[in-house]
Amino acid sequence: MSTENEATVRDRIQAIFERDDAPFWLFAIAALVLTVLPFALDTFWTRIALGALLWVGLAQSWNMIGGYAGYLDFGHGAYFGVGAFVTGIAMTELGVSFVVGLTIAAAFCAVLAYAVGVPTLRLSGAYFAIATWAFAEAIKELALILDITGGNYGMTFPTGPESTGLPFVGAPNETFFYYLMLVLSLGTIALAYWLFERSEFGFRVKAIRDHEDAAQSLGIDATQIKRRVYVLSCVIAALFGGANAYYITFIHPNDVLAPLITDQMIIMALLGGLGTIGGPIIGGVMIFLLNRLSSLFLGSSTLYLPLIGLLIMATVLFAPSGVVGILRGEVGRDDVKRNLRELGEKFDIL
Amino acid sequence: MVSTELLVQSIINGLLLGGIYVTVGVGFALVFGVLEIIDFAVGEYVMLGAFTGAIVAPILGGEGLFVVPIAFVVFFLVGVAVQPFIHHVTTGDRPMPLLMGLVFTFGLATFLRGSVLTIFGPNTRNVPTKALSGGIDVTGIGVFPEIRVVTAIVGVLSLVAFMYYLYRTTGGTAIRAIAEDRDIAGLMGVNINRYQSIAYGVYAGLTATGGVFIGLIYAAGPGMGLQYTAFAFFMIVLAGLGYLPGIIVSGVVLGLVQSLTSIYLGGDVVFFALFGLIYLLLLVRPEGLLGKGEVA
Repeated sequence: MSTENEATVRDRIQAIFERDDAPFWLFAIAALVLTVLPFALDTFWTRIALGALLWVGLAQSWNMIGGYAGYLDFGHGAYFGVGAFVTGIAMTELGVSFVVGLTIAAAFCAVLAYAVGVPTLRLSGAYFAIATWAFAEAIKELALILDITGGNYGMTFPTGPESTGLPFVGAPNETFFYYLMLVLSLGTIALAYWLFERSEFGFRVKAIRDHEDAAQSLGIDATQIKRRVYVLSCVIAALFGGANAYYITFIHPNDVLAPLITDQMIIMALLGGLGTIGGPIIGGVMIFLLNRLSSLFLGSSTLYLPLIGLLIMATVLFAPSGVVGILRGEVGRDDVKRNLRELGEKFDIL
Repeated sequence: MVSTELLVQSIINGLLLGGIYVTVGVGFALVFGVLEIIDFAVGEYVMLGAFTGAIVAPILGGEGLFVVPIAFVVFFLVGVAVQPFIHHVTTGDRPMPLLMGLVFTFGLATFLRGSVLTIFGPNTRNVPTKALSGGIDVTGIGVFPEIRVVTAIVGVLSLVAFMYYLYRTTGGTAIRAIAEDRDIAGLMGVNINRYQSIAYGVYAGLTATGGVFIGLIYAAGPGMGLQYTAFAFFMIVLAGLGYLPGIIVSGVVLGLVQSLTSIYLGGDVVFFALFGLIYLLLLVRPEGLLGKGEVA
């Protein structure tokens, strides 16, 4: 009797997940839980949750160009840093509020991304990866020698009560930044879901990823679509960059333009599962927690680096579709065994 | 105003630097040509080579030069063991094999850098040498450190030896055949797994050897790798992806750009100049400075 009941319960749960509106309800419940979360957390854990939201959003923004469009952007972190610096320059030099500064940064990065995207998106594969990487490094070195970015001294943000530009908020605090990141992060996820999983645009993007020439021959304007995805993903990275910079109040080119920022986004998207909505969310939370809590639990602040390295290698070797692939049942024990056997055959060197 | 002496000095220094960059670039270009992967771990092999020098040299009586052959053999074996993994992730039914190769070597680089950082700490160490601590005085131009001159000579010699292997021996022919067409080479009876492993082993050994010399000139530190990964990318883009002889030119250009910009524009502009140059070059001439590489 009881087993029968359990079976029906499981079937019902499965049926719920298979419904067409399941993503909507999942999203709504998650949004509700995350909205009330700060009331249950102390400052330390609010900060952790805030950082996780930031990285989930960033990983999702990389996933748009890297996972859905298949263009390996190794310079995505540049927009995170440029967004941070433009917001800061607007606030300190022009004296505008944070909201206006962030808008200016988004507009600036849209223009920049378009200008960079037009020539670089003509390149493919490794060339695109190298070009974007070189672009990001050049931007970082430029920020280190320019005066307007504070050069090697970095830049400090105004933090007064009027600096947010939102009259009902006042002086920014942890809770304000939590909700800011929540809105940005959930907005990014909802936008990505609607654009890439529910609209015709998404199918066009995936067609380009899977076979650009074939997609083009079917009448898809690959050039235009690639540029749109690139600009969109870069603007989102810039928004997070500006928001994060205002939160940490002091920025330095070596921090907000570090290659590690791009690297983390790629790793998060890959570990979770490329080209899926859930991937960057799962990967982002996993890597962020491993990174942030490593000194707490591992007793060493650098030990997480080799661990992440091993994790990346293991994922690529045995579960290329990431955690989402494992959850969907695409990667099982048999696949790992097959992979190991094929790997063993490649050691035939004598 | 511009002193000719300074100009000649910095040009010679640039040429000397270029010699050692060639060692790093040539293996990297080969690995791209044969294995069709962009190896993000290249700078970490340089770092490991330099670290091997810093740790092993004191045991061998404080002479860093003795470490050179050891580093080559050890990292040849490391490379032979690592290559099958890379080959595995770039073949088969995986989506986006290029990304998988890039990310796998990126994971390897993170693992290597993180391990050295965790085990040895963030401090830099010196690679000692007694034999080559003097300078060579060229009348009218200036004094050049012996170690730089020897390093440049060794760089050129290792390139010549490598080219000999590649163009005059059976193994080298097999490697070039794989670079030409992997499937047809396999049908002709070339043991692809074996020669790919050897190619990667030679590359890892050569790069680590270059690392020992770089450690002798500068110092060994866990964070130094990234810079040399950047240099290696710079060199293959400049040479044209897949075009080996171009590496000599691009290594020398890299040395000259580095030496001249740091003298005339200041040390902090060097990287901006380099990356700006790669970026522009990829957009204007993706087939490389000499126009002989593959086009995107």
